[in-house]
Amino acid sequence: MASERCAVIRVDQIVKDFRPGFGLRRKRVLHGVTFEVHEGEIFGFVGPNGAGKTTTLKILMGLIRPTSGSASILGCDVSESEFRNQIGFLPENPYFYPFLTAREILDFYARLCGVDSRSRAERVSGLLEVVHLSHAADARLRTFSKGMLQRVGVAQALINDPKVVFLDEPMSGLDPIGRKEIRDVILALRAAGKTVFMTTHILHDVEMICDRVAIIVNGTIRHQGCIEDFLPDATVSTGIVLSQLPAQIAVEMEERFSVEMRGLGERVELTIPAKRVQDVLEMALAAGAQVISVTPHKGSLEEVFLNAVREEEGSG
Amino acid sequence: MKSLLRIQALAFNTFREALRNKLLYTLLGFGVLMIGSGVLLATLSYVDVDEILQDVGMGAIRFFSAGIAIFIGIGLIHSEVDRRTIFTILSKPVSRSEFLVGKWAGLTITVWLQLGLMAMAFAGVSWMAGAPLGADHAVAIALIGLELMVLVAIATFFSAFTTPMLAAFFTVGIWMIGHLSRDLRALGERSEVESVSWMSDLIFTLVPDFEVFNMTLQAVHGLEISAGEIQLAIVYAAGYTISTLLLGSMIFSRRDFK
Repeated sequence: MASERCAVIRVDQIVKDFRPGFGLRRKRVLHGVTFEVHEGEIFGFVGPNGAGKTTTLKILMGLIRPTSGSASILGCDVSESEFRNQIGFLPENPYFYPFLTAREILDFYARLCGVDSRSRAERVSGLLEVVHLSHAADARLRTFSKGMLQRVGVAQALINDPKVVFLDEPMSGLDPIGRKEIRDVILALRAAGKTVFMTTHILHDVEMICDRVAIIVNGTIRHQGCIEDFLPDATVSTGIVLSQLPAQIAVEMEERFSVEMRGLGERVELTIPAKRVQDVLEMALAAGAQVISVTPHKGSLEEVFLNAVREEEGSG
Repeated sequence: MKSLLRIQALAFNTFREALRNKLLYTLLGFGVLMIGSGVLLATLSYVDVDEILQDVGMGAIRFFSAGIAIFIGIGLIHSEVDRRTIFTILSKPVSRSEFLVGKWAGLTITVWLQLGLMAMAFAGVSWMAGAPLGADHAVAIALIGLELMVLVAIATFFSAFTTPMLAAFFTVGIWMIGHLSRDLRALGERSEVESVSWMSDLIFTLVPDFEVFNMTLQAVHGLEISAGEIQLAIVYAAGYTISTLLLGSMIFSRRDFK
């Protein structure tokens, strides 16, 4: 479905070299990064620390110029500034002028985006409500917690009602409730037809909300595609919790079915290969054991991510 | 039009931020104190009491205003990069030139405001001491305002690509040389070594001649300030400010924000 939509972000063979210090030696941090983000999707850009996520994002924001390659957003080269009226950006750990209030800082960004004076106050109040900061609208930002600043950051990224939103670690520093709120905002953006590009370390969030993912390791894209492609349907293993399992049967199960066993008081938790579930359950029930739960374990994005990192370390 | 509105928003924000800088009030306080101390210094002389009073006052205004322009200006861009506030600003439809001009305009308004306060202190002290005050004094102080405008542009220029320490070093150096460049040129002309003469000419051409804005002598001693001198100062200030900001924008546009 996603591939049929038009690409709103195109990154083509981006290379970036930095010169550490004053020497002539250059360090390559991006090695021909290429990907596309389609209209109306949530795209997760995942990678370990120092992989090149923020550098790629800064190139898209025009904060860094690529050494070679090209990048465009909504068909415009990223070095231009006028199209930026149609995008929003939340940097990692955003910092704002501490002497301003939440309302004042949003008003400042609205002015920069050319939001007219009639709709500015309304837009600012609306966004403060969206990020649950209406109660602190007139408090100075110096009194805000990290989580509150993050929410101000999300609000400023949406001040111009952008078509494409870039979020660098949007869940960083948020408690579980805050993360849920930001997740809901991101999902609402997709529902409104916006495109969201987000970098994050929290793979669980990516699994929950992203349509497509790219994994970058050491400046190279290792995997990219739909989130379903990363999560195999086949069950890898199954967890079964039993009670009243005779000890003799437990020993026999361990030997016959390669079962991993863990005692939980009177209960016992078994982790078994998916294909042996039927055999283990029949044996347990025949021995008079009671089945408390059966949980299939599937492959996760985390495994794909860790494998990509290990592959890179192995080749490096 | 949209560009002007963005510059206005940036300038207003810079103005608000500069008003929270403690250095501004420290230097302003010292400046006013120095203007007041002119009364004491004048009592040391039996002749030209009014002139000494006003000479010290004008000197204090120029020196402390320049201090404010330089020491707030040098950190103007650097602090935005250091605190990463520039990331969210430049992700909006704001060009780097607009950002630079906005910062310059905000600080120029701030130094003009403090110049106005020092001028009021100067007028108050002169009035209490019974020293003459005329339009020439106002013109001389307005020309200090033009000098500050150029100085803020130079500080902003260096702040766009170097550290505050280096920016301070370069800006203070240019300001001092700019006040001495006429003397340097005169010395160079008298020198028999051709390279010395050539070098003093080069310095005079490259570094702004800040003495163009110095009408203290005329104002304090009741000499006429001609319309030509005022026009020259205005054109000179505009030319230097625009070219410095243009050059600064070109360098700033090529800068990476890691």
